[in-house]
Amino acid sequence: MRVLLVEDDRLLGDAVHEHIADEGHAIDWVEGIADAEAAIHSTPYDLVLLDLMLPDGPGLGLLRRLRSGGDVTPVIILTARDQISDRIAGLNSGADDYLVKPFNLSELSARLAAVSRRYAGNPNPLVTLGDIEFDLAGRCVYRSGRPVEVTAREWALLEGLLQHPGTLLSKTQLEERLYPFGAEVESNTIEVHISRLRKKLGHDRIETVRGMGYRLKR
Amino acid sequence: MMQRIWTGAPSLQRRLSLGLAIGVTAMWLAAAVAAGLVIREELDEAYDSALQETAQRLLPLAVLDIVERSAGAGGRRVTPIGEHKEFLTYLVRDSKGRILMQSHDAVPADFPDTPAHGFRTTKTHRIYGEKAVSGTIIMEVAETLEHRREAAIEAAGTLFLPLLGLIPASLFGVWWFVRISIRPIRSLRGAIEARGEGDLSPIAASGLPAEIEPIADAVNRLMERLRRALEAERSFTANSAHELRTPIAAALAHTQRLIAVSKDEAVRERGRHIEAGLTRLSSLSEKLMQLARAEGAGLIAEAEQDLTTVLEHLVEEFRRAEPENARLRLTAAGSLVSHMDADAFAILLRNLIENALKHGDPEGVIEIDVSSDNVVRVVNGGAVVGTDELKRLRGRFERGATRAKGAGLGLAIAQAIAAGSGAELTLSSPATGREDGFEAKLRLPE
Repeated sequence: MRVLLVEDDRLLGDAVHEHIADEGHAIDWVEGIADAEAAIHSTPYDLVLLDLMLPDGPGLGLLRRLRSGGDVTPVIILTARDQISDRIAGLNSGADDYLVKPFNLSELSARLAAVSRRYAGNPNPLVTLGDIEFDLAGRCVYRSGRPVEVTAREWALLEGLLQHPGTLLSKTQLEERLYPFGAEVESNTIEVHISRLRKKLGHDRIETVRGMGYRLKR
Repeated sequence: MMQRIWTGAPSLQRRLSLGLAIGVTAMWLAAAVAAGLVIREELDEAYDSALQETAQRLLPLAVLDIVERSAGAGGRRVTPIGEHKEFLTYLVRDSKGRILMQSHDAVPADFPDTPAHGFRTTKTHRIYGEKAVSGTIIMEVAETLEHRREAAIEAAGTLFLPLLGLIPASLFGVWWFVRISIRPIRSLRGAIEARGEGDLSPIAASGLPAEIEPIADAVNRLMERLRRALEAERSFTANSAHELRTPIAAALAHTQRLIAVSKDEAVRERGRHIEAGLTRLSSLSEKLMQLARAEGAGLIAEAEQDLTTVLEHLVEEFRRAEPENARLRLTAAGSLVSHMDADAFAILLRNLIENALKHGDPEGVIEIDVSSDNVVRVVNGGAVVGTDELKRLRGRFERGATRAKGAGLGLAIAQAIAAGSGAELTLSSPATGREDGFEAKLRLPE
């Protein structure tokens, strides 16, 4: 999915950025509120990781502006403040979850996945389509009970299709989910990933609607 | 509202009332005495002039009478017109002192032996003498001093009698007026007393008398400074926590990245050591931050709030952090409405719960229950902790006989916050109604 990281600490941002990109998500990293707002207005993000103490203002301000503007993009707060009242204020301002620094990267991944599942209206991490079983929490796929090896990019693509089974996703939408700003994307990259997934999951599992996009068959 | 009884300290109201009352009374009395003296003076003058008048009027008549009788032997008494008590008596004598004439109840002994012209005062009488026939006949009119005294007493009576009513009335008036005037001071005192440790809202200074308003302003300025100091301290702790945690978070994240990407098992093992060290460093720094917070100010909030929500959040956080924390049981029957600061409360409870998780029976359920009267109990199973051990547990960096990891600061932090916020923390073992285990009972301040 497409993730926006708003974190002013270079070292931490760098590690988080690398970790999430490694999991196959497209992640953009900004270091302040102004840049974050610009990014949110130009790109449909699936999730925002928001630090609370930023050089150009409090993260909660950005969150409140988003929510009062009707933006429902899931937001996970990263906070270094051990004040439970801050965390409660964050949740009351419309955050979906929070992590207290320092946090484990595996914890971060788990929260990311859980929040986006909840957002898709499917809190159950196990999704079954025919003979295919997806474990969204464990990030693994089973075909007829046997595990199937998928790459991080393929998984990210599957996650996108799984969020709304039966709904069409255009090639551009899928590219946006997989690649951050400035990434060089070959024009046929998505097609390549789709065809590999078809080999692994069965040819008719992913439908192509010409000129429109792709969808998972229920 | 607590009424303080002032013992020993001088009461402004009593002082003013007494002072004014005594002053007013003294003034009344002085005025009355002065008036009495003046009246007496005036009375004397009036009586003297009446005496003189009488003598001057009677003398020609007496002379005429005496001359007519051409010096009859002995003095004659003037026949009274009916019985009456005379205020004035007179005596007519020649220059030798022989009596020529006297009023009917004149007592010659009352008169001095030698007649003289003008006013004289004897022990009992006031006497005026007037000469006639070139000093050969002298008439003296006497008036008893008693009579004058009676008159003076009567006059004084009419002067002092109203005072009997007026003085108590003015005393009451003074007392009542002072009481009314002191009311703003009372209300100011009440307002200042009502400001607890946490409530630093300004006192309404408008409508106070000019002498007291500066006091209210000064108190407000003082509270404002205090509030700023408290806020500065609080944000300092929050900021230092932030400044400390972010680099630790970064180091931890990079270490975890290193473990994730490295192909070399030795490097990964090294990484895991660093990771464990960082985790320890992180929890220790957190505890030190909490301790700084616990021993600083800001443990009391401005307004009351229900801390039940905070407690629910806290337990939820514990449950999410570790699968084994599912053994936390929260039963919130009552409410926790208190002035205690929410974050301070959370730190305190966090330490009690961590303590129970670490040192209690690893399999047992941990009960966190809120009874209805602002009391939270954290109860865990496990071996009974001895009395000496309980005492030691409250010391800083003290650890009980346990193999569990931890800086041993938890209970010390909990104690410090409880002491600083006016809460009451009791540690007991075995737990209430059980034969084993450990119980921490926290009674929140109002």
